[in-house]
Amino acid sequence: MFSRTLSRVKKYPVVYFLFKLFLFAVLIFMLDYGIGSLLRHFYFTQKSGFQYLTTYSMEQTEAKLLVFGSSRANHHYIPDTLEKYSNSSCYNVGRNGASVFYHLAVLKSILKRYTPEAIILDFTRIELEERASSYERMAALLPYYKDHPEIRSIIELRSKYERIKLLSEIYPYNSTIFSIIVGNMTFNKKRKEDFKGYVPLKTTMDSLGKGVLKEEKEAGLDSLKVNAYREFLLLCKESNIKLTVVCSPYAYKAEGSGVSLLTGQKIAKENGIEFLNYSEDSKFINNFNLFTDKNHLNYKGAEIFSQIIGERLTK
Amino acid sequence: MLFNSIHFIFFFVIVTTLYFVLPYRLRWFLLLVSSCYFYMAFVPVYILILGFTIVIDYFAGILIEKSEGRKRKFYLIISLIANIGVLAVFKYYNFINDNLTFLLQEFGIDNPIPYLSILLPIGLSFHTFQAMSYTIEVYRGHQAAERNFGIYSLYVMFYPQLVAGPIERPQNLLYQFRKKFDFDYDRVVDGLKLMLWGMFKKVVIADRLAIYVDSVYNNPYQHHGISFALATFFFAFQIYCDFSGYSDIAIGAARVMGFKLMTNFNRPYFSRNISEFWKRWHISLSTWFKDYLYISLGGNKVSIPRWYFNLFIVFLISGLWHGANWTFIIWGALNGFYLVFAIATRKFRDKLNKLSGIDRVPWLNQTFQILTAFVLTCFAWIFFRANNVSEAFHIVSEIAKFNGPVFYDSISVISFTVLCVVMLLLVELKMEYYKGKFSFFNNRNVIVRYMSYATLIIILLLMGVFDGGQFIYFQF
Repeated sequence: MFSRTLSRVKKYPVVYFLFKLFLFAVLIFMLDYGIGSLLRHFYFTQKSGFQYLTTYSMEQTEAKLLVFGSSRANHHYIPDTLEKYSNSSCYNVGRNGASVFYHLAVLKSILKRYTPEAIILDFTRIELEERASSYERMAALLPYYKDHPEIRSIIELRSKYERIKLLSEIYPYNSTIFSIIVGNMTFNKKRKEDFKGYVPLKTTMDSLGKGVLKEEKEAGLDSLKVNAYREFLLLCKESNIKLTVVCSPYAYKAEGSGVSLLTGQKIAKENGIEFLNYSEDSKFINNFNLFTDKNHLNYKGAEIFSQIIGERLTK
Repeated sequence: MLFNSIHFIFFFVIVTTLYFVLPYRLRWFLLLVSSCYFYMAFVPVYILILGFTIVIDYFAGILIEKSEGRKRKFYLIISLIANIGVLAVFKYYNFINDNLTFLLQEFGIDNPIPYLSILLPIGLSFHTFQAMSYTIEVYRGHQAAERNFGIYSLYVMFYPQLVAGPIERPQNLLYQFRKKFDFDYDRVVDGLKLMLWGMFKKVVIADRLAIYVDSVYNNPYQHHGISFALATFFFAFQIYCDFSGYSDIAIGAARVMGFKLMTNFNRPYFSRNISEFWKRWHISLSTWFKDYLYISLGGNKVSIPRWYFNLFIVFLISGLWHGANWTFIIWGALNGFYLVFAIATRKFRDKLNKLSGIDRVPWLNQTFQILTAFVLTCFAWIFFRANNVSEAFHIVSEIAKFNGPVFYDSISVISFTVLCVVMLLLVELKMEYYKGKFSFFNNRNVIVRYMSYATLIIILLLMGVFDGGQFIYFQF
């Protein structure tokens, strides 16, 4: 019956083509759904690694003091040290390569569950500059698109076709398969001690790194980032969270006009929020022993800086 | 519009459907309008530049055909000046000015000539060369001048090969715009398969390798020799997959509608020498230079020193064609030098092979030749990829030291990268040495065939880099 129908359809090449295309689409849909569901399951069963830290930040932490930011936040603020000063629980939700879009999305997810008492938002020198990588790195949020409607509008900023791409069940887990495997292994949990989100950097800047202290060329302001930053500040204000925006230390002095930093300070001031600028602090600038690379403090530097911030917060 | 975008998928489906729905006589018009839209999706205003050369070459073609003697040559020269002039202004003006400034500074003089603040129109070198091949072929009497302005415009603007080739000849393409292509199931499926494979090469392999290559090459003073060697090795495959991936999509998209474009790549890294490499790499450009420059200079039918000069100068210009930067010129010169050196030392190398006895073990001899050609190609790629000449020499000196440590951002990135190269090598090995065997995509068993395509799509979703940049060759 089927083969007779098929041979009859074969006489009409367009119909035959569309029929085969339909069969192929069904096969792809089934594979996509099956593999995507499997990846989803194992993504959320991870017990270590940076993806686990994001899930924990968005869905589990109930710490009273939270640290938001990029890799600089992740490596610069030690929750144990901050806890000593603030006498409250602390968690570092910073993530490598995260931009203000990521910070806003995580904050929105957290506010759906509970309201922290205080937040430190680490602000980089290029935080509000226009950079394509900021949108690419938002891929870290894709696995949460389905269950977190509050962050969908942020994820959709990635591209106008993002919704279409997200029809695929595999797409949110694109390029994550190796991390998912490693994150589910017990050896990785043993290997990577959990310091409440903080990831220490153990190396010190070598002579090769010192030779290249040039910053990336300054780009213009990204209006979408400026809006996201404003929204972050307003959300904290409306939720009565004590927010402090901090630009943590760099190993070198900035070049360019510093338009991003100035705008960040201006918006914070407009909203009555404290902005602490340690980017060129004399304790850290050119003190390469305290850095792993030009942008990141090592654990020695992070210890000193966390104490400074802890003292400042108690004032 | 990038081939590796959702925008293109919509565009392709709509244009192809309309193509088969419309009556034959309207199809060229549809293709012309859609090609304009395709080009204008980049920088709309640059279509005016394209329009300028199209008008000049269209009339030049007719005038060349109508004229005789010196006049024919005059019209050809007008056309060539217009085309090369556009290239000179948009591609080489600032480069020449830069070098002039440097030279004048040596004598303490300020350069009074201003810089032009312009972006290079996408694919300028490709469509300019295609346009030039038309007037040259009309001049040589190999092609009748096209009277239909729309069809001539389509010859230059045909969207699949508009921005990165293959650079077609008028004899191969123009007549196809008047042919009636019906919907042919096998042809359509073949075209789609080629497009899928091209997309896989670009999105899964090239863009994945680009992450490692860019990290190393864009921070040359933060890395060591082994990382540079690895990045150069990866770059060889990145540029191959990027460019041949584009060509596959272009040829496949045209094939779906019935058009046959020329093959642009033929597994170049299996070449046994540099001469063979250039017969397998960017074939449409190599043959363009051979047909219109090398042979015009006398080819190999001249004295030996002149022959060497012809070879060298063709590759030097080929380097300059790729970009207005000394790195490309050195890359071209290196390839020219390789070829001349190979010819000059052929007898000596043959003797050496006989003495060593390697020619009696063909597989070993062939492997050695392939590896040598690959290493030489990779060495030249350093200059092609480096951001400037001083960085290129720094990278060469670091590779010579061959010291560590090896840079890797994360296990995940390096694992994906290595996996990509292994996958490509396996497929290419199969296609080069086991053609017809272990066939997956053309397997008789429908389940094997379907699962092969499906696997490709699933790997694309799992490992593809969807935020990857544009195709490298768009900038040329």
